[in-house]
Formats: sequence, C-alpha cells, structure tokens
Amino acid sequence: MSSEIDETLLRNIIKGVLKEVQDSDTPISFGGQDTATATTPVAGAQKGAEPEKKLDWFQHVGLAKPGLSKDEVVIGVAPAFAEVLTQTMTKIQHKDILRQVIAGIEEEGLKARVVKVYRTSDVSFVSADVDKLSGSGISVAIQSKGTTIIHQKDQAPLSNLELFPQAPVLTLDAYRQIGKNAAQYAKGMSPNPVPTINDQMARVQYQALSALMHIKETKQVVVGKPAEEIKVTF
Amino acid sequence: MSEVDDLVARIAAQLQKSGNASGTSTNAGTSTGSEKELGPDDYPLYQKHPDKIKTPTGKDVNEITLENVVNGKVDAKDMRITPATLKLQGEIAANAGRPQIQRNFQRASELTSVPDDVVLDLYNSLRPFRSTKQELLDTAKELRDKYNAPICAGWFEEAAENYEVNKKLKGDN
Amino acid sequence: MKRQKRFEKLEKRPVHLDGFVKNWDDEGLVALNGKNDPKPSIKIENGVVTEMDGKKKEDFDLIDKYIAEYGINLDNAEKTLNTDSVKIANMMCDPNVSRDEIIKYTTAMTPAKAAEVISKLNFAEMIMATQKMRPRRTPMTQVHATNTLDNPVEIAADAAEAALRGVPEEETTTAIARYAPMNAISIMVGAQSGRPGVITQCSVEEADELSLGMRGFTAYAETISVYGTDRVFTDGDDTPWSKGFLASCYASRGLKMRFTSGAGSEVMMGYTEGKSMLYLEARCIYITKASGVQGLQNGGVSCIGMPGAVVGGIREVLGENLLCMSLDVECASGCDQAFSHSDIRRTGRMIGQFIAGTDYLSSGYAAEENMDNTFAGSNMDVLDYDDYITLERDMAINGGIMPITEEESIKIRHKAAVAIQAVFDGLGLPQITDEEVEAATYGSNSNDMPKRDMVQDMKAAQDLMTRGVTVVDVIKALYDHDIKDVAEAVLKLAQQKVCGDYLQTSAVFLDGWKCTSAINNANDYKGPGTGYRVWEDKDKWDRLENVPWALDPQKLEF
Repeated sequence: MSSEIDETLLRNIIKGVLKEVQDSDTPISFGGQDTATATTPVAGAQKGAEPEKKLDWFQHVGLAKPGLSKDEVVIGVAPAFAEVLTQTMTKIQHKDILRQVIAGIEEEGLKARVVKVYRTSDVSFVSADVDKLSGSGISVAIQSKGTTIIHQKDQAPLSNLELFPQAPVLTLDAYRQIGKNAAQYAKGMSPNPVPTINDQMARVQYQALSALMHIKETKQVVVGKPAEEIKVTF
Repeated sequence: MSEVDDLVARIAAQLQKSGNASGTSTNAGTSTGSEKELGPDDYPLYQKHPDKIKTPTGKDVNEITLENVVNGKVDAKDMRITPATLKLQGEIAANAGRPQIQRNFQRASELTSVPDDVVLDLYNSLRPFRSTKQELLDTAKELRDKYNAPICAGWFEEAAENYEVNKKLKGDN
Repeated sequence: MKRQKRFEKLEKRPVHLDGFVKNWDDEGLVALNGKNDPKPSIKIENGVVTEMDGKKKEDFDLIDKYIAEYGINLDNAEKTLNTDSVKIANMMCDPNVSRDEIIKYTTAMTPAKAAEVISKLNFAEMIMATQKMRPRRTPMTQVHATNTLDNPVEIAADAAEAALRGVPEEETTTAIARYAPMNAISIMVGAQSGRPGVITQCSVEEADELSLGMRGFTAYAETISVYGTDRVFTDGDDTPWSKGFLASCYASRGLKMRFTSGAGSEVMMGYTEGKSMLYLEARCIYITKASGVQGLQNGGVSCIGMPGAVVGGIREVLGENLLCMSLDVECASGCDQAFSHSDIRRTGRMIGQFIAGTDYLSSGYAAEENMDNTFAGSNMDVLDYDDYITLERDMAINGGIMPITEEESIKIRHKAAVAIQAVFDGLGLPQITDEEVEAATYGSNSNDMPKRDMVQDMKAAQDLMTRGVTVVDVIKALYDHDIKDVAEAVLKLAQQKVCGDYLQTSAVFLDGWKCTSAINNANDYKGPGTGYRVWEDKDKWDRLENVPWALDPQKLEF
C-alpha cells in the first residue's frame, strides 16, 4: 500500500455516485465562480443521460475542427467531464486537471485546445478521435474518473504513447507532467515517461467506484454526435 | 489443396453431426483415398512423424539446427508452419473431437502464404468501422483470386453482410 | 452512537478496505440469475437457428449470429435444451458420468442454458466438476514477469527463476507500450535460460502483439479479448469476425493462442444490457468455441473487483472457469489480479481453482514483487511463494509452483542475466553492464536495479522493429557469445512453431521439448483412484516433501 486513502471519504463518494446515478434529478447549486447557471439537455441523448450544467469556465463554441498548426496538442474529454461529473474518483476537480494539463503544454511553448467527445466514453477511443483533430497529431484524453492517455495519430486506437490506467494514483503534478510530455512528443522529442506509482491495491479499492462512475459517463454517450470545441477560461 | 480442405471440412462436420466425438480415423475410407487421416495416436507429430513435417522451403524439420542457422542454410523463412502441417494438426484436432479447431486451422492454412504486413492489414480491415461493404467484398475477391484463399474470402463476405445489418461498416459510428 | 469496541476493531481489518456493492441488475451488477437474463430457448429451421434465448433471428446482434452460426452443435441442441438443467448439473459433478458424455451436452447448449446449468451448482459441486472437466490431466499455472521500469535484465532473471520453479508459460507486458519488443525478447531469453521448453508471450495491443509473434519474439498470445455485449466488443475495437480471423492469423504462424474474457468487463466498460455477469461470460465462452480457439483465460481476470464486489461473485468466477473447461476449452483460470487487502480473502479467492486444479490455476501468478507487476498487481506474488508452496505441501496438491533453493535461484538468475546481456550486445541494443547483471542476480525488485536510460531503450526498441530483427538474430547473438545451450533452446522453440503440436488444446512443453496436451495427456478423472494425484508424480512430490524449510528428523542435532 503506497497511498493512504481516507475510508470515510471513499464511502461518501460511492454513496454520492450511487445516489446521483439513481436520482434522475440532481439539484444544482448556484453561486461561486465554478457553478452552473442552467442546464442544457444534449440532443439525441440516451435514457438515463443528464442535462449538462452550463459552466462559465467551460463553454461550447461549435463543432471541433481539425487543427492545422503543428504546435498544438488537443485535449479530449469524455462526455460527462466537467458538466455532469465534476471531480475524479479521488475528488480532484476536473477544472484543476485541465488547468494543469494545459499549463504543462504551454510550458513547452505549445498551444492547447480542448474538445469534448460524445460518441464514446472509452478513453482510448476518445484519444483516437481527437488526435485526428490535433495539428501535431498528439492528443491527451481524460475520462471523468481521471483515467488519462497520451495518443498519437498513427497508432492503433488501443495502443498509446503513455497510458495512466490507475486514476487513483494520479496527482495534479502528474497531470501537469502529462501535459508537458504530450507537448514534447508533439515537438518530436522522446521524453522520459511520466513516473507513476504502481499501487496494486488501488484497483481493489476503487474498481466498484470506477465502474459506477463509468456507467454514469457512458450514459452521456451520444452515438454519431461529433466532438465540440470547448473554450476554457480560468 | 482447397478441394481437400473442403472435403476435410465436410468430414469434420459429419463427424460432429454423428456425435462421434472421440472416433479416431474411422473415416479414412471416405477421404481422398491417398493417405489415412491422422488422429490422437499420431500426436505429438514431432515425436511420432517427424518425416511428415517440412519447412516452407521443403527442408526436413530436423534440418533446423544451430549449425544450419549460424551458417545461414536455415533462416527465418524456414521457421514457419506449412499448410500441410496445419492440415495434419487439423485432422488430429477433429479426430480428438474438436472440429472447430480444424476449421480455424483451415483458415490459417490459407494465410500461411500471405505476407505478414498483408495479414495485419486484413485483420485491421475487419475491425469495426474500418471498411465499407465494397472494400470488404473487394478484399474477399483478392483473397480468392490472388491468394487462393476461398475459406477466408467467404469469411470476409459473411462479415460484409453482417456488418451492414449490424452497423459496423465505415461511417456507422 | 456509542461505539461497540468489537465493531471498532472489526472495522480496522483489511477486508474493510475492499469495495463491496449490493446488486443492481439493470446495470449488470449481479453475479448470476439476473432478473433480465433471458430464458434458454432454441429454434432450428432447416439447419438454421431462427431463435436463440428468446431472441428472434432478425434481432440477433453480431455475437448472437456468430454463436448461432459456429458455436453450437445443432444436432444435439434441442434435446439438450429440453433436458432439465438440474439433471445436467448433476451429471457434471458426478464422477460416474464421463467427461466425453458431458461435452455432448455442453457443446449443444445456448449461453442462457449454460448459465442456468452452472447456476445450479454450489461451490463444492463446482470443484468436483472442475477436476473432471479440466482438459489437461496435469494441472499447471502461468506467471507474469514484469517490472515498472521495463528493466530487461530483471525480466530475464525473474522469468528464469519462475521457469525453474516449474511453470510452463510466462507472460510479460509493458509499463510503456513502446518497450514491447525488448520485453518480449527479455522474457523469452530468460525463460529459455531457466528451463528450455517454457513458452512466453507479451501482452500488448492486438496488431502489435501479432507482429511480435511473427518475428519469433513470442510463442503464444493470450490477451485477445472478447466481450459479452455488442457495444463493449466494439469498444474493444473488434467484432467476432475480426477476432475469429485474428485467431487464424496466429495459427498461420504456428503460434498458440487463447482468448481472454471474464466477469465484470462489461460492467467496467459501461454496457451490460442489464444482464448478469455469468450470462455475458457464457456468451464469451461460446464465441471462443465458435472461433476454433483452443483456450480461454477467464475468471474475472482484470475486472475481478466487480464479481468480487457482489454477493456470490467468487462462486460465479469458479462457475465461469468450469463452463470454459466443460466446453473442452483450455482454461487459464484468473487469480491473476490483486483482489483483496485481506490475506484470508485472497486465499479464498483462489482456493476453488487450487483444490480442483485447472489447466493454469493462475493466468498470472506474479513472478516479481507485486510493486513491479504492471498488470496492476496479482492475487499472489513472489513474496507469497513459500506460503503457496506450503499450502501445496499441506494439502498434497500440485499448484504449479515448486520450491527451489537460494543457491539454485542465484545460479539461474545469473545465467539469464548474462544471456540477455549477450543478446543486447549482439543486437546492438543499449549495453547491459556487469553491475546490472549482478543486481538482477541478487535483487528482488526494480529498486534494486541500477537505473537505465529509458529514452535510449525505447528508441532502440523501436529501431529493432524497423531494422527487421527476428528470432534468428537472437539465436545468432547467443551463439556468438558462446551461450550455446540457450541459443539451442531458443532455436528449438522456433522449430516447434513449424510442427504445430503446441497449437492443440492445453498444450505445453515438458523437459526435452515433449509436447503434452489434452490429446496425449487427457484428463481421465473418474473418481477416487483416478486422474492426477501429485503423490504419484514422483519428482513433484519429492520436491514438496523436501522443501528447504523442512527439517530432516533423522539428522537433527540437539
């Protein structure tokens, strides 16, 4: 056991997720910079899908288009990201994750573009979808539960440059480093892979929660719906 | 070759139908009449019938020695299974009650002469949303005409039909 | 509430760190007998299945179509479907009914019928049935050899030690996908140094894995995943037709392969269609049979946390192993993932398979410390070796792992490290130093290893693929460095791919490259006095009797 996880916290998350998944109506809180001001049902959404909360820091600005500039990395987020679920399994805020990944990319002098994918909740397929939009051919994909991948255009969907399958061990520092590495791949460099802890008990502890969060994310999938460009403002 | 394979497939199907799960070589009389089919008693082939195993270049399996590798008489091309060996292993599998394995080996047998990169491309083209119906049918034709692979061609045609109905063609996602 | 002291203590026990949930049938969080599971049925018209498990032909998804077309022996199907499931279940655990007789029924069932039959058995009956239905007479196990730094010397040394401990199959994977060819070569050279005849694989993306096999770096493949719902199958980037074709691709190169499935994967991937884990797994098993694939790795596998979280889940897991073997398919029966914080519970998780014996009790006992297991940890690891062996000794069971002495371990680890050093030199890969050889010989985990330049290694690994290096170059490198016995072993492995003997069900190599499988070593269990018994297997029994930690009572000095 390398990471200490607060048991009560875990129970609360599970309880929370279970409750959220079971209740069709989630109360929305108002006030504060991060909060939602309204909700938008997603056209074509399946049964059990929730309307997306409207956020001022995470705004849809039309369909995502392929980028032409070689100095960009596209970050693809899964369907429930930020607007339905707001934090990972270990309660890291989605907003903070994006902030770090983008900062990592920008540190390397590259631009980051954020895109939301609807047609799949699978992290590999999110990444394989958005690397085609990325001018550099490099993408980072992030699921709501926190699982992350760095992918390159010519790779098979289920292959990767770096995969971070154990979301519970990822810290904000690791997310920043992931952004940095993605940018370095985009520059044609061969960075050292982001070091992560191999916590073999993380899966034991989190698998059920992970499944529940993924069920929720998957309910937000809309078959055939193209990815949308997201403007983020921190 | 393919006629023999078809025959073998038929025999296997008959065997399965008659519920003759463990019959050994009982159907020798119905084969082409040349050679008796192999069964569990002929296994392992390498110990029981090394003479029947050749490399793709026609060498004896026991010519694969360290010396021959070092002096270049044997190279990577020799370290491949042949259609003839897969056929024998298929007979052994079917006569041990596993006709599905034989059918797999029949498809495999056709692929032995297909180059590595083409095999990888063929596999990738069958994955979901990769190919149009026409592309799959064109591949089937190529398999039949260029590689003399009728069983695999049938496999692609079947996939083309089913992918159309069940929405796994390019653009369906 | 005023706390009750005993309850406070109980809460602190490791088992309470595990995740548990109540059933939720509509999302597939149910082990078996789910409320939405279909009732078994089959209608056959003119040799074509027109209805299966309550679904009409025109509503079939790709999985239904594939199973109906290739997976069921239709001649016996109607009779089997009309036979009471309790009766079939009873036959399965009755030693007086032969294995061959059972297979006539199991191969003619639909997935829903199969799930219904299995659900009639309790845990003890499943153990009874498993020891009869296992295809290979001799039970064995498989190990993982990995480390978080993808250190090639450590992989080779761990592979060699596990080989010496008696396993016939070893699997590696990568921490970083680009390392794949290097890891594949390291485990192959290590395993052949440990015991000529051990076959090795490297689990990576489907097409990449096949490409490694074609170059001769691997001898078999296992992580060819199949799933029980159409949507998850698609998210796995395959269809039954592409997976069936992939199976033939492996056979065409003389490579053994088995599929992978397991309870919980559909829950984890979000599309269960509200069906139970056992029903969905039954579909996977029939897909495997339909493909003519000789084997299957199942039993929760990487999603073991899901059946582990629901009531009766571990019974379901043994049940799905049993169903696999009952279809005459080789079974690598899971027990390969970190499962519980509780030592009692992780022993319980494997005890059914352990007592009954399967083709491979574990589809990945960690042949490294769990901290180095890049499959995210196994149920048991190297630090459990002595406990595990003691259980084998106590219960007189061959669990597939045998004791060795410290001296034997040092010697074999060194041999493998020197061999991989030679191969790296011969192939022009980044140098392995004598210091690394020494560290891998005496070390236990990757913290004991000097750090390598990973960027250089990854570049070299990619370059190796571009240069078209094959197993022939590996053999030559060993030969040129005068390591002739390992060169010979790697060559023999390549030679066996020409012969195809190890493509048969449950096949592995014994000493002297003797191929043993369900054909020439078929399970003949028919009750007491029959089947495999470890005390009749002299070498194994001697090794268990003489574990290094047993005293010789006649030579004690007081």
